[in-house]
Amino acid sequence: MKTQFSRRSSLLRLGGAIAGLLTISAVRTAKAVVQKVFVSTSAPKGYDPTKHKWLMCIDDNKCIGCGLCVEACKRENGVPEGPYFRTWIERYIIPKPKPGSDRTRGEALVDSPNGGMHGFPEPPLPKDQIEHAFFVPKLCNLCENPPCVQVCPVGATFRAPDGAVLIDPKYCIGCGFCIQACPYGSRFLNPVTKTAEKCTLCYHRITRGLKPACVEICPAEARIFGDLNNLHADDPLQKFYEKNRVQVLKPYLGTEPRVLYAGLDKEVR
Amino acid sequence: MHPFKLPPQILRLVLLTLAIVGSYLVARAFLTPPSFGQYGWYRGDALGLIASRPPVFAGKQACDECHSDILKKLAQDAHKTLSCEACHGVSRQHGDNPDIPPDKATGSHCIRCHEANPARPAWFKQIVVKDHYSGKCTECHMPHQPTQTP
Repeated sequence: MKTQFSRRSSLLRLGGAIAGLLTISAVRTAKAVVQKVFVSTSAPKGYDPTKHKWLMCIDDNKCIGCGLCVEACKRENGVPEGPYFRTWIERYIIPKPKPGSDRTRGEALVDSPNGGMHGFPEPPLPKDQIEHAFFVPKLCNLCENPPCVQVCPVGATFRAPDGAVLIDPKYCIGCGFCIQACPYGSRFLNPVTKTAEKCTLCYHRITRGLKPACVEICPAEARIFGDLNNLHADDPLQKFYEKNRVQVLKPYLGTEPRVLYAGLDKEVR
Repeated sequence: MHPFKLPPQILRLVLLTLAIVGSYLVARAFLTPPSFGQYGWYRGDALGLIASRPPVFAGKQACDECHSDILKKLAQDAHKTLSCEACHGVSRQHGDNPDIPPDKATGSHCIRCHEANPARPAWFKQIVVKDHYSGKCTECHMPHQPTQTP
């Protein structure tokens, strides 16, 4: 049987389709408005990410390896128990060269028992065999060109305009690509939420005008944090810049980290 | 010359393509979150979501509101760089309600920093506890003014 198409019925159908689309989009807008009103987060109002540029500096001559930053970070961000760290401390022990060898120094020993959270045990070498020993705090390097962002298949991780590399916890599917891509090992899969997690620079603190927990708690002022766009006269960041020559981790990768270190050794990767 | 007529199979292909592209555009319009693209190729609302976590540590400035006398003393001596919560523990609830004491369990004490370790920098004061003294640190050192004796 042949269907009859009259001009009237076609126009009616077209009109109906357009009306339906308009209704759905109106419903969608209304839903968004309702979400904004009722599902309001306690996120600080008035924070504009385009007006800040956060920078973390680490004065490695000052780190005493107490592990307070690691503990504070876990507590502040609710990081699960176990080998999961958003920031951690590594201990480098560089032994003296073996007598008669043509090397200037021995092979570096690196350890980080429980991320350095409860301090470090006695070194595995007697003191007279150690050439240098030092601690290095590590965290997300806040790359300008973050490899983790490039590999995310769902666009859940991104670099915010204020320089923080963040993860959208609602969009992360926990595939773990970013964890493999990060050359600094700063990411882990949270065993509770099954999503990737990393240092957010304590985003919930810095947007409220507080310092990140690790910076707040560091007793030796080894971590210096500030806003490059709003430097005040005696900003610790400015002082740090004037006093030190800085370098970044793995500069040959071209990731352009925004975590600057002063006083690093060549063994530190 | 025949007048040009679109072959029916081509017409069907064009219509099918339009239908697929159209349904993609409609689906995209509905599925993309409203804040996508606000700052870049991601959900702008995620920033607020991440920032919505309540802070745990109160910060030294919060302590200064009531305990400014102690903070003044602290600022004059070697422990001036210390945050209150490094030793006294998380104090956010204490700041809101002074009857709740700071969470002592998260605080830490002298040995954590001052026990000798070859990896600690040489400028930093360190002791080998078992050779130093067996009593309490506070018998000889005042925590807020470590160079003074009680």
